[in-house]
Amino acid sequence: MNDRISALSGQALAIMIALALGAMVILAVSESPLKVFLTLMDGAFGNPERIAGTLLQTTPILICGVAACISLRGGLFNIGIEGQLFMGGFAATWVGFSFEMPPVLHVLAGLGFAAFAGLAWVAVPAFFRARYQTNEVVSTILANYVAVLITSYLTINIFKRAGGAPDTPPILESAYLPQLFSFSRANWGLVIGLLLAVGAHLFFTRTARGYAVTEMGANPKFAEYGGIDIKKQTFFLLLVSGAVGGLAGGIESLGVHHRFMEGFAPGFGFDGVIAALLANGNPLGTIITALFFGALRSGSLLLEVDTTASREIITVIQALIILAVSAQILVRRRAADSSAGERRWKF
Amino acid sequence: MPRAIELRSITKRFGSFVANEGVNLAVERGSIHAIIGENGAGKTTLMNVLFGLLQPDEGEILIDGQPVVLPNPAAAIASGIGMVHQHFKLVPSLTVADNVFLGMEILKGGLIDHAAQIERTAELSRQFGLKVDPTERVGLLSVGIEQRIEILKVLARGARTIILDEPTAVLTPQESRDLFETLRGFVAKGMTVLFISHHLEEVMEVSDTVTVLRHGKEVATRPTAELTKSDLVQMMVGRLVSFDRRPRAPVAGERVLAVEDLWARDDRGLHALRGVSFDVHAGEIVGIAGVAGNGQTELAEVLSGLRPATHGSVTLGDTSLTGLSARAIRGAGVAHVPGDRLVRGVDRNASVSLNLLMGRQDKAPWSRGGIIDRGYLAQQSKALIERFDIRTRSAAAPVKSLSGGNIQKVVLAREFSGDARFLLVDQPTRGVDIGATEAIHSEIMRQRDAGKAILLISVQLDELIALADRILVMFAGRIMGDLDGGAVSEERLGFLMAGVDEHGHHVEREMTS
Repeated sequence: MNDRISALSGQALAIMIALALGAMVILAVSESPLKVFLTLMDGAFGNPERIAGTLLQTTPILICGVAACISLRGGLFNIGIEGQLFMGGFAATWVGFSFEMPPVLHVLAGLGFAAFAGLAWVAVPAFFRARYQTNEVVSTILANYVAVLITSYLTINIFKRAGGAPDTPPILESAYLPQLFSFSRANWGLVIGLLLAVGAHLFFTRTARGYAVTEMGANPKFAEYGGIDIKKQTFFLLLVSGAVGGLAGGIESLGVHHRFMEGFAPGFGFDGVIAALLANGNPLGTIITALFFGALRSGSLLLEVDTTASREIITVIQALIILAVSAQILVRRRAADSSAGERRWKF
Repeated sequence: MPRAIELRSITKRFGSFVANEGVNLAVERGSIHAIIGENGAGKTTLMNVLFGLLQPDEGEILIDGQPVVLPNPAAAIASGIGMVHQHFKLVPSLTVADNVFLGMEILKGGLIDHAAQIERTAELSRQFGLKVDPTERVGLLSVGIEQRIEILKVLARGARTIILDEPTAVLTPQESRDLFETLRGFVAKGMTVLFISHHLEEVMEVSDTVTVLRHGKEVATRPTAELTKSDLVQMMVGRLVSFDRRPRAPVAGERVLAVEDLWARDDRGLHALRGVSFDVHAGEIVGIAGVAGNGQTELAEVLSGLRPATHGSVTLGDTSLTGLSARAIRGAGVAHVPGDRLVRGVDRNASVSLNLLMGRQDKAPWSRGGIIDRGYLAQQSKALIERFDIRTRSAAAPVKSLSGGNIQKVVLAREFSGDARFLLVDQPTRGVDIGATEAIHSEIMRQRDAGKAILLISVQLDELIALADRILVMFAGRIMGDLDGGAVSEERLGFLMAGVDEHGHHVEREMTS
């Protein structure tokens, strides 16, 4: 319990330091940090539309974050969530415009196929990780580029709708994921994301399989000794993580864009990984960190309107947070005696 | 001529644990000096003191007759001491020459002069007969060559005295022979070699002088030529005084475990088990004695399914365990108290109760339909903590907050509370205090009296004599003898552990794979 408190306070301190450094950067481009901060807050939470805008940005980050948490918990690092999201997004769109189905069924079919596409996309790296211990960081990150290019090829060369833009045809209305509010594109995907976060938490803390994969991440030698099949659980866990990543893409396409186009999701997969790392791989904590990143993204829209700061400043702040948090985790690990039972991945 | 190194009454404590107690060590220039002792005898601590990695609490260090203080390894290196660690510290993506000069690069105009480094490495390599290609990438090389690079690093820093910590542990027999050849070359050039080992044969083969450590104390320092392997074993394991033999009633049980002509390889690919056969009956404790590194670890790993056997069979009752997974072996009724308990036996960051769950998380009543029964887990944790007298704040406390003895009780509580028929117990009291040792021994006896078949592997002879009904002695992957635990002589054990059979013949360690 003490551990958890010290971990949380360390995390908070790291974020404070990052924000202070961010303030210095803002000063360097001669803008008032306070004004930037207030503008960000205003942009993210200033009125119901803006809050909805923040939730809209939070949704994909949260779902990708849960996908990352699932792999991190087992000591695995699925950094290919961005690619799984692209594949899922395209798959759901294809179901959305190619078939005619009753409304609810159409949405479920689209999301199901999106999850399947994400799962299929991670299956090869997962197999090689489980069977031959191929580094999944490298294989999943490489798969990202392939996913982006394949979906782009399919969009432009095969499914391009008549007219100018490189988009697929729009999905049928029966495949629309319902919106939460009349005034925003924020949709039921948020609820799905929250359910997934809570579900992942319950899975890890309440089920036998969740216990097995948690121990596999915490001390693989102990898990092996206890009879846990490391290969099988590794394969399983990466597949689930990939399926959730694919689902994130399906929700973006059925809930927000209603079609698929190039540059479909600007870095949601990576933001999700960072949100998960920031929450120390805890799915419930990821709800908070995803909201934080969603607010930064959404608040930054107003930044360029109301201040002289460019919205790239947000990227700078995010990078500073990542640096501070990684440094903080490293310091804490050094302090704790970690001679025995090494984790497979230090995050 | 002053001695190359002299340590005078070195004492080093870690909290209440005394790792070295008043150790004296005198190393003559131009000799190979071996330091031998069981795991935990204090060999590595002593060398770390000499290399400036640890500061002694008492005592003094003399190099070439001059008293020195070594606050850090840099000071030791400056005094001409170099250390080759057991685990190499090389950068795989750099070349041999770049590794040798890492941290002391030869520069030209502020840039690394690779040509000069390669030339200098080649020169050292020729001079000392350590064959390496300076331009090769380290990641592509074998362990034996990596060790040569480590030695070259030490030489490049001007060492006149070289410390090697268990240098042969990772080497193949041929690589070991090459290493010994190199070491003899060093002393011929007037350098001094200090090497740590628990392998009797190599100490006998290569050293001029040997110092024996036991429980942190220096037992003897003698010229190697005056000693036999059996003398060394006697000095390493010491007199048997600590525990009394536990009283017991004979239990005539059926055969539970049958091991037949078992062979297995170690991590180097060498045969660590060479045709091991034995039985364990219900209500019987069979002890495995032997100097560490004679196949005991591999035997435990094969029996628990963590290492494949290359030949032979293991049978539990009527079930063949040969080739089964760790999970299936557990399921068949084998419990395992592992020798490296902090690595394999527990997840130190998890709570006591989650550690008690391992291995049965998907069995009723611990879980139903895949959902862990938290009420049952809490209730069982409470009962086990009470029954095994685990001293912990609560069942939710992380295991790392417990003492060594209590961590071992967590492992025992978990492994002994299942329905296993065969208990594989490896080094149950290593690093455990006296009070907890007593409790653990009593618990093992209780399991025996309840009719469990127990295999007890221990490097502590007094523990085996206190508990075992029969003692099997392992040497070089074979069983040397099967002795009655109640009537065993210390001398007889010592001979068998040194590889001398009952007719006085020396069994040779086979150096082939």
